[in-house]
Amino acid sequence: MKSLIPVLLALLLASCVRMPKPESFFQLDASSAKYKALQSRIVEASKEQELLSASAAVLQDLGFQIEESVADAGMIRAVKERSAREYGQEIGRFFSFVIGLLAQTVIIVPVDLHQQVAATLVMYPEEKSTSRFNVRIVFHRTLWKGDGTSGSQSIPAGLQRMEMIYDPKIYQQFFAKLSKSVFLEIHQI
Amino acid sequence: MKVKLLIILFVFVLQACSTGSTKPPENLLSLSEAQMKIRSYQTRVFDISDEEKSLHAVVSALMDLGFIVERVNVPMGIVTAAKFAGTGYVAFVEATVVVRPKGDTQMEIRANALFNTKPIEDPKVYQNFFATLQKSLFSI
Repeated sequence: MKSLIPVLLALLLASCVRMPKPESFFQLDASSAKYKALQSRIVEASKEQELLSASAAVLQDLGFQIEESVADAGMIRAVKERSAREYGQEIGRFFSFVIGLLAQTVIIVPVDLHQQVAATLVMYPEEKSTSRFNVRIVFHRTLWKGDGTSGSQSIPAGLQRMEMIYDPKIYQQFFAKLSKSVFLEIHQI
Repeated sequence: MKVKLLIILFVFVLQACSTGSTKPPENLLSLSEAQMKIRSYQTRVFDISDEEKSLHAVVSALMDLGFIVERVNVPMGIVTAAKFAGTGYVAFVEATVVVRPKGDTQMEIRANALFNTKPIEDPKVYQNFFATLQKSLFSI
């Protein structure tokens, strides 16, 4: 019976997640403008083709593999796979294991094991200008969790979730590299 | 024990004897009136003649709404995008938008949205999308 409590608690919390209403899917909210500012920059370049290939080069430098690119639309889609293990989660798992031992059950919380980070980049010329381009990149990731145990119930591995990446440092890093790369390309170094 | 076995065998025999229909219904791929109505509120015509600019505006609007653009086909004017919505990203929404020139001065834009693999048939949802698209079209 004791081993069921963590599972029941998890189920209760899971049932509290409410399905969003479809009407809200296509409505702009307060965070749209904030994310747009985070993800977009105006970049100076003489030709869209140059800027596109510079962007692809930066993504490759960051370890991404280009999956799809549509030159006419100024779009690039790239992915990279990495380990997703984090110290914080491992420490948390250790402590919940200890607490479980005290309660005489085995609790092994599944932690993030593997992730696939994806980047989608879109660019278009700014209005009334042929050398300024609006570049927008969106990073998001899919995570896979490992396996775990809750009392006598084993939790299988492979639980998946996705999350959008809104860490400003990542976007700043990309655009810093991009402006450096464009400078090099324009001056053909 | 024998009785249980007999009951199980009996159920299997009943199952085998049922004559379920294996042909798809004839009207599976034909247009119904309801479908025409849905098409009408999924489509809107804008007074813009630049197809490329319209496509950029569609992509921009979808990214503003938090969608991740999956595919863009410029000659056909098709944009496919998806997002995980809601807290905890529980809902999967997919949208396909097609941009087609209508005459010389107008652009016909049709949007098709899916929510957890079921098509969205609420006109309000499409109204919201076109309102966002309008803002994007006239600010690009």
